[in-house]
Amino acid sequence: MDIKEKLIILADSAKYDASCSSSGSNRKTKNGLGTTSIAGICHSFASDGRCISLLKILMTNCCCYDCKYCLNRKSNNIKRAIFTKEEICEITLNFYRRNYIEGLFLSSGIIKNPDYTMNLMIEAISFLRKKYHFGGYIHAKAIPGASEYLIKKLGQLVDRMSANIELPTENGLKLLAPNKESTKVTKIMKYVDNNRNARFVPAGQSTQMIIGATNESDLEIMSKSASLYNSYKLKRVFYSAYIPVNNDKLLPSLKLPPLKRENRLYQADFLLRFYKFKVPDILDEKNPNFNLLIDPKADWALRHLEEFPKEINSASYDELLKIPGVGVKSAKRIISARKYFKLTFNDLSKLGIVLKRAKYFILCGGKYFIDGNNFKRNFIEKNLILEDKIYETTSNEQLKLSLFDE
Amino acid sequence: MSKSNYIYLYDGSFINLLNLIKILLKKKIIPQNIKDDTYLPNLLEQSFKFKIEDDEKVIQEIINGTSKNILTTIYYLFLSNEENKELLIYYFLVHSLKFKNKVYYMRNLKSVDKALKVVMYVSHENHKFKGFVRFKELANNILYAEISPVNNILPILSNYFKKRLKNEFFIIKDVKRNIVSVYDKKDFYILDGEEFKLIGNKESSSEKLIQDMWIAFYKTIGIKERKNDRCRRNFMPKKYWKNIIEMRDEL
Ligand code: SF4
Repeated sequence: MDIKEKLIILADSAKYDASCSSSGSNRKTKNGLGTTSIAGICHSFASDGRCISLLKILMTNCCCYDCKYCLNRKSNNIKRAIFTKEEICEITLNFYRRNYIEGLFLSSGIIKNPDYTMNLMIEAISFLRKKYHFGGYIHAKAIPGASEYLIKKLGQLVDRMSANIELPTENGLKLLAPNKESTKVTKIMKYVDNNRNARFVPAGQSTQMIIGATNESDLEIMSKSASLYNSYKLKRVFYSAYIPVNNDKLLPSLKLPPLKRENRLYQADFLLRFYKFKVPDILDEKNPNFNLLIDPKADWALRHLEEFPKEINSASYDELLKIPGVGVKSAKRIISARKYFKLTFNDLSKLGIVLKRAKYFILCGGKYFIDGNNFKRNFIEKNLILEDKIYETTSNEQLKLSLFDE
Repeated sequence: MSKSNYIYLYDGSFINLLNLIKILLKKKIIPQNIKDDTYLPNLLEQSFKFKIEDDEKVIQEIINGTSKNILTTIYYLFLSNEENKELLIYYFLVHSLKFKNKVYYMRNLKSVDKALKVVMYVSHENHKFKGFVRFKELANNILYAEISPVNNILPILSNYFKKRLKNEFFIIKDVKRNIVSVYDKKDFYILDGEEFKLIGNKESSSEKLIQDMWIAFYKTIGIKERKNDRCRRNFMPKKYWKNIIEMRDEL
């Protein structure tokens, strides 16, 4: 098998992992090749619109586990390949020099046992860093169940490390990934969190959950995320809409991946991380799932209309953040600008603040954007849905997502 | 003899422009426009050229009078493709001398608003090209890339690659402007495409295989159940595709 064929097999097996960002690290090299950039850099965009930043590959797609949702599971009869450490270095360095990529994302199926697999990964990455003095970004997947000394070794070589929680509940795991236990994953997270510094996983850790393969509610998923953020200071939780690759009676038969739902989860995730929302603000036992028609922030605002409309010229920073359509950047701009002059709707547009959603929830100098009698739930809800439809959905929402990306 | 309804000319360089603006400010002249000296005035226009000394001191004077940030902003404006960028720089500087760093919030002033939008565009385009540049390896081991950006980002982009590809020789050519940047492992130099001709631009022996592998990787990594062409084009506008090797098949 030639190296190109291997690359195709091992990229194909890795493509379902959602994380791709190359941000959060600021590596400079004295004598080697490459640097990293705090903001992260996208080098290309795939046919599905996702950013390509890293050479995302598995070391091998051979696996002794049999997770039901995974293409690489033991019971599937597919072509298997394994990269040598030299091959991994060769491709990474050649791609990097030509500016195709920001660095390497290395994951792997499990061969023999977790320690054996981790050791091979560490050898490859250590080759890249020490023999070739590679200073670009490296994100490695830690293998759950691997020994602590290996986690330590790997963490000293990479920018980001992550271990996938895969499913939000233990029951889900038991059903679909019988060889996995969430405690093995959280053990890694805890170790990384306790030891993180400028030379150990400087860009922090992330994780991923598969959405829609089991029947957990959005409330269960978001609660899991919130607890992961709180307990281990994760940089990101990624949500990956389940895409059926195997036929299995334990798996739902979906025609299309639940992309809208995935999008809502990302939006709610931003609310938790940057907008000081808590899970119970967004979802509860009575409404355990997202409204697919309206984004979570607007949905929250519509249920709390008594707090609106907010006067742009006097609302506090925290209050500004709760306005649908107003992000961290916009809120900061408003605060700085209004020191010098009183803001009108026109000024807001000039400040680059998108009024599409915000205008329904604000006053400028006491004025609503149209006759104030229209400030009613029905009117706003109808218009928000309408504007979304006109504006087309997926592409622009994904655009927004990536702009906010760390 | 110098009047406000004149078009003032400079030699096209940043330093020359700053020195010209310094003279205008000193003489309290509000120019009708400022253009580089290739500009051909129409019948109703009158142009005037001061004798300007290219004094680099002006850089420090601007920093002292405003801030480093404002100097950078002005430089980005200068790199833009905006038709009347020189006049925009003049007005932005006038406001900056008055408001200092607060100028960034004075979006209610038309010229400030416009200037900041243009700067945003230049800096976004530069950021995109940090990702979109595609080098190929020539037989003599030099890395070579061609770009066609809207704005003249070659100097700031080269400065970025100078750090990233510290130990490589590289050449980046802005095809549209016919200028090249040449990095010799110490610093980079911007040269006119006419002065600089590449001799022996044969690709290295492994170049074809690496390109093939990259294109194969690119085609594999997209998930077909999630295909989203519009989103892709939002992030990676079609006008850039011809220099992005993995997109050539789709052009
Ligand atoms: S451990 Fe499970 S998810 Fe990972 S490669 Fe093996 S089968 Fe797939």
